[in-house]
Amino acid sequence: MKKNTINLIAILFFSILVACNSTPNIDNSMLDSGMISYAIPDSLNKHLLSANMPNPTPQQLNTPVIIAAHGYTATTFEWDELRTYAGNKGTFYVSQVLLGGHGRSYTDFKKSTWQDWQSAISWEYKNLSDMGFKKIYLAGSSTGAPLIINMVKTHFFDQYTLPKGIFLVDPIVVSSNKTLTLVGLLGPVLGFTSVDLSNGEKGHWYVYRPQETLKQLMALIDLTRTDLEDGISLPTGTYLKVYKSIKDETADPISAVMIYKGIRTSTGGNVDVEMENSTLHVFTRLAGRDIETPEQKVLQQKTFADMENIMTK
Amino acid sequence: MFFVFGIKAQNTKAYELALGLKFQKTEQLYWENGVAADFTSDFLVHKKIHLKLSYLTSRIGSAFLSNAIRQDNVVFGADWRFRSDKDFQVYAGLNTGFFHADMELPKFDVLPHNSLLLQMETGFFYKFKFPAAASVSLGYNVINGDGVNLPGTLFPVYYQLSFFYYLNNK
Repeated sequence: MKKNTINLIAILFFSILVACNSTPNIDNSMLDSGMISYAIPDSLNKHLLSANMPNPTPQQLNTPVIIAAHGYTATTFEWDELRTYAGNKGTFYVSQVLLGGHGRSYTDFKKSTWQDWQSAISWEYKNLSDMGFKKIYLAGSSTGAPLIINMVKTHFFDQYTLPKGIFLVDPIVVSSNKTLTLVGLLGPVLGFTSVDLSNGEKGHWYVYRPQETLKQLMALIDLTRTDLEDGISLPTGTYLKVYKSIKDETADPISAVMIYKGIRTSTGGNVDVEMENSTLHVFTRLAGRDIETPEQKVLQQKTFADMENIMTK
Repeated sequence: MFFVFGIKAQNTKAYELALGLKFQKTEQLYWENGVAADFTSDFLVHKKIHLKLSYLTSRIGSAFLSNAIRQDNVVFGADWRFRSDKDFQVYAGLNTGFFHADMELPKFDVLPHNSLLLQMETGFFYKFKFPAAASVSLGYNVINGDGVNLPGTLFPVYYQLSFFYYLNNK
């Protein structure tokens, strides 16, 4: 009996050891492989306004620009449709930042921290502010949102041109999948998790999520939640609006309530929150989805138009 | 304060009724605190089964003077006590009850804010030499929030610390 117990414990430890060392099967068609890098200069700069418009005219400096930050495991692809919308309207610019560790390779992603993810937003904000852009806005989808909220909380913007406004689309403060709260315990056993991508999403999102980055995500959203509980004030004159799907299997809709309760304008007023009749996570991104309904398209365009109206009124 | 009592909680009484305070920390979420009652009797398999009732709220926990969500839990449960005739006991049990999160504004009424509770719990229970007891426990919410149909602040794992005072000690 005693020998059997020892054997059982040995098998258990061996299983955990194997699980800890597990590495995913990555093929070259996956973003994880590093063969489709979004981070090569041509790809990276294509989406950044600071790189595309090195010598802006006074008129261009007075045109609103949105720095758009995507979500966890995503790429700049997530905001391509807003850039297309802006291009058609000609009333504002979109600068799509590729978060640190993202759009590169599984190895790069695995070793990145949430501060690395955030640094891309800070870098572009500093560039646009230094270049003299006067109407800088930020848009954060999913994990992009807590990264921006953290920049507000830490007074990052105080040393630059203050942002005119912030748009948060399906922000994540609480994950819908509550197993994420146990990642500290289960992470080393899991090693990584994976997601099923549609054909249109392949090459634009990582398939594999290393437990190290899941821990980073959990640390970021837990910090954001506690910061919101303590209260956050927006910079002087900065507007903020949340657009949140009422059913979201990734970012729990309660996140919108927490942001509403936790952030005040510089004068103590409430921020705007619009609960959207959608079941999509990041409902403003329809490209790459298997199904796109007319209702989803209407909601996407309505939201883009609302953001445009706020920036140009 | 418990040390002013010099008598041991008697296991020979026909029943035991204890009231106390309960402090709950949910993993990666709130402190929710409140009151609890514990009852057992000889007819409950010679005091091996304990019936529990508690009310826990973030209003006197994380939401006190902060922006945390105000939420309430009313919990009924039953435990099986191992070593029930000893001071140091081990227990495991099942709870059910009702969870409510206060969304505060009509615009958030579209979100799920009520749920049935179903919990598994295990822990240690210690009876002091005076008519009081303390317990620590680990629990799991079998029903937890999913972003679609259940309240988002109903998280799976929680820890509890409880202190009880026996009302029928005389």
